[in-house]
Amino acid sequence: MNVEITSLTRRFGSVAAVAGVDLRLGPGVFGLLGPNGAGKTSLLRMMATAMPPSSGSLRLLGRDPGGYGPRCEIRRRLGYLPQNPGYYPGFTVAEYVEYFALLKEVPPARIRAAVATAVDRVALGDRKKARLRTLSGGMLRRASIAQAIVNEPDLLLLDEPTAGLDPEQRVAFRALLRDLGQRATVVVSTHLVEDVAAACAQVALMDRGKVVFAGTPESLAAQGDGHGAGDTPLERGYTAVLAQARS
Amino acid sequence: MTGARLARVAGGGAAPGTAHAGAAPVTWVRLVRLYAAGRRVPVAVLAMAACAAGLRIALLWHWDAYGALQLPLIFETAAAASVVATTADPFGEPERVAGRWLPFLRLAATAALTAAAIALLVAAGTGGHLAGGTLDVLRNVAGITGIGLLCAAALGAGLSWTVPTGYLIVAVYALYTQWHPPALSTPWLWPARPPHDLGGGLCAALAFAAGLAVITVRGARQRAGEAD
Amino acid sequence: MTAATRVSSATPRRPGADRPGLSTLRLLRLELRHNAMAWLLPVVFVLFWLVTYRKTMAMPPLWNVRAAGLQVGVAADFSVPVTGAAAWMGSREARRRVTDQVTITARSRWARLLVAWAATAIWAMLAYLGCLAVLYGVTAHQATWGGPLWWPAAVAAASVLVFCALGFVVGAFLPSRFTAPLVAIAVFFVLALSTEPIHGGHSVFQVSPIVTGPWDLGAQPGVATFYPFQPDLSVAQVMFLAGLSVALLGVLALPAGSAGRAMRAVAAGCAIAGLLAAGTAVGLTGTGTMDAAGMIDIPALHDAATGRPLEFTPVCSRTVIPVCLNPAYATYLPATASALAPLLSELAGLPGAPARIDQEPVAYKQGADNSVAFLLHEPAVSGTPPAFGLVLPVQLGYPAMTAAQQANQVVTTYGPDLVADVIGDGHGATQAQNAVATGLMIAAGLRRLDTYYVPSAQPASARPLPATPGGPDPGRSPGVAPGTPAYDAAERFAALPPAARHAWLVRNLAALRAGRLTLAQLP
Repeated sequence: MNVEITSLTRRFGSVAAVAGVDLRLGPGVFGLLGPNGAGKTSLLRMMATAMPPSSGSLRLLGRDPGGYGPRCEIRRRLGYLPQNPGYYPGFTVAEYVEYFALLKEVPPARIRAAVATAVDRVALGDRKKARLRTLSGGMLRRASIAQAIVNEPDLLLLDEPTAGLDPEQRVAFRALLRDLGQRATVVVSTHLVEDVAAACAQVALMDRGKVVFAGTPESLAAQGDGHGAGDTPLERGYTAVLAQARS
Repeated sequence: MTGARLARVAGGGAAPGTAHAGAAPVTWVRLVRLYAAGRRVPVAVLAMAACAAGLRIALLWHWDAYGALQLPLIFETAAAASVVATTADPFGEPERVAGRWLPFLRLAATAALTAAAIALLVAAGTGGHLAGGTLDVLRNVAGITGIGLLCAAALGAGLSWTVPTGYLIVAVYALYTQWHPPALSTPWLWPARPPHDLGGGLCAALAFAAGLAVITVRGARQRAGEAD
Repeated sequence: MTAATRVSSATPRRPGADRPGLSTLRLLRLELRHNAMAWLLPVVFVLFWLVTYRKTMAMPPLWNVRAAGLQVGVAADFSVPVTGAAAWMGSREARRRVTDQVTITARSRWARLLVAWAATAIWAMLAYLGCLAVLYGVTAHQATWGGPLWWPAAVAAASVLVFCALGFVVGAFLPSRFTAPLVAIAVFFVLALSTEPIHGGHSVFQVSPIVTGPWDLGAQPGVATFYPFQPDLSVAQVMFLAGLSVALLGVLALPAGSAGRAMRAVAAGCAIAGLLAAGTAVGLTGTGTMDAAGMIDIPALHDAATGRPLEFTPVCSRTVIPVCLNPAYATYLPATASALAPLLSELAGLPGAPARIDQEPVAYKQGADNSVAFLLHEPAVSGTPPAFGLVLPVQLGYPAMTAAQQANQVVTTYGPDLVADVIGDGHGATQAQNAVATGLMIAAGLRRLDTYYVPSAQPASARPLPATPGGPDPGRSPGVAPGTPAYDAAERFAALPPAARHAWLVRNLAALRAGRLTLAQLP
């Protein structure tokens, strides 16, 4: 298992953003669904070691991120795309990805190839020398995805990765996710159920800091038969599970 | 929902197009408050107050001729830099295209903050041995703020401090040359001119007017990826 | 996006097997290319040229003076742009919202920030080295003796680094739009304020980088030309600035998560060591006193061997009585010798006339308040062979004069003393002596006696420098005012042909000095 979470909690003052989550994730693509404020981003940030948990147990890639050494080791094999990624406008696409490759301690001899591969995988190969300030929103998002995958992570965490991508790019991105998921654990937090349906083998639904559903997209869709509201089976399953959790 | 029901829900029962006339002053106050909050005006006022307090404390001592003229100039520049820092635009295009009030808000905020900076420093200097007096403070703060506003329009609010702080060094040196000739004396270095000097006053006023006009119309230059 | 494209994973990944040095260099290269300091270099260069270079070049071409100008100028000109740019770079991660993305990478925050700081510091130092090269290069071309003083240059370099460190650390901890301008101005304020508490010697505030020597003395052209430059204060300043820089950079690692435990311990140790070094330097500076050569001696840092006078070969003129100056002042020799030549040709060969005119050093003494006394020997012919000592006005730190103005000052200052020594003029002199002395000066073109010169009838141990031009010294040539019989005799004596005048003096000088001649016996 690449991710082992037991009773994980994160509090901000009196608010429990994550309230006792249990998860076991191995290689594959894992979707994380939930309404705004459900705790998805907080959970993702804890898995990205950007934020320590308030309580509970968290093991990533077989290590406890509480210690500095293990945390560094995890981070070398980790990729993270936050919901609102930042960037240095004067950097070119290649420099931006190279910067993160260097920070992630990708071996120097492999950096050039790794950067080229990552940039190609997000279809920015022809813009690799363009400065980030000249890119559109969607291209910036793709450049941010490239920095997340440049070190071929074993654990890839993506928060709203398809925001700003056009449908064609979204389709290609889902294919990329499936490809990455053959070897690594990919966790995708998203509002778009069709992303989950197309790319994820497993899905969890969070509400108010708790996981209220964990299973396959098909089983989530089945929850909505005759119950939920929505235009697709997965949407109906989503609303049905939420309604049940809140009742 | 039907269209009529939606209208009732949205309008709270009022007929479409009816203005909430009684709420207009409150709306203006809220708009100004929110604008000020977005520009970190309270922090700027705090910084200016700190400059005034520093000046007041500094005036408790008796300085030689160098200190008496150069120290107030340092506080004046810091206050001007605080004013200019509020020109940063955290919202970007959505704000720029949302209606017609933004230039007026920029004008009012910048002018009010400049006036506040001057007032705070003058108050701090009252009763102390503030060399140059009120006219000096007025001219220096307004002029250096103008330089900073022009910088903000050209380089962005984040880098608007570069030229005003460089100007401070040149002005301090120009003051020094009053005792160590040859004097560096041009109306464009107004801090080195006597408070009643017309040329220096005009140059400072011109800088302030130009900066205020540019900021009012165009705002600070938007830099991509800049956070607040 | 191409899902099919992938890097071959045949080579097993061993993240810890990379060469950290090479990665760091690559990171540094990226940072250098995108550093705000590079964009502020034009501001730095304009400030340096306007404020420091022009002023320093107007000073005499003496290494001590130029080095002091460089040190003070760099501290003043670089403080604001370097501190501001560093604060801007230190706050970059928060401003650009990349904090989360960079936090979760393997490289420690401390390492990451140090690389960004290093890039800023490299640009700042490149700018400084450029300014140093220009100023010292031009000085090397103009100076007539000596070589570059590197300790003041080291102090200037250390001050650039500490501005960079201070700005960067404040920006990293307080990322705000207000940070860069306010911290830059605050540093300038502290710098300007740092000298106000200095009172007399023993002041710890002399550790400030804008202090180049005894604060009450300033950068004196008379210092470090007859005696070696004493680097005591510079050493203490470098220790202070370097200690402060190391401490600040160590502080960057102190927040939790910034580095591993071992590295944080190292950083804490660096911070403590840096503070100790800075504190020690401050304490040492407080023990410093101004020596007679006008430089600060700090006992714990002082090398007594460097207190001996410098050995040099003076540069001498080819006048009948050679005028010999310290080679550092060689630029003043032609004008000085030319101005003194008429008088020297009147005196040459007379019994008691000096064989040469020698330049002497100035001695300094710290006063009880913030004053400094210039100690000058009474100008007189002495020694074997007999020599007459003088001090050039430039050694006394007067406002800038041309070489011709300096020479005129020398003549009007020392001419009367020189003549009086030979003729025996002074207290108790006869009217004949007064008239002959006056006549010689008129013949040499020194008609005006009411210009400034150093009063000579004062004890040699302490002669405070007069601040304003004075009138004729009553101790020299008294009673020789126009319209008096003595003045008429002086004019007649001056009107004689030079050869006749000289011959008369050779024959009658002894009697004149003994007071046996009257006005009527003068030709």
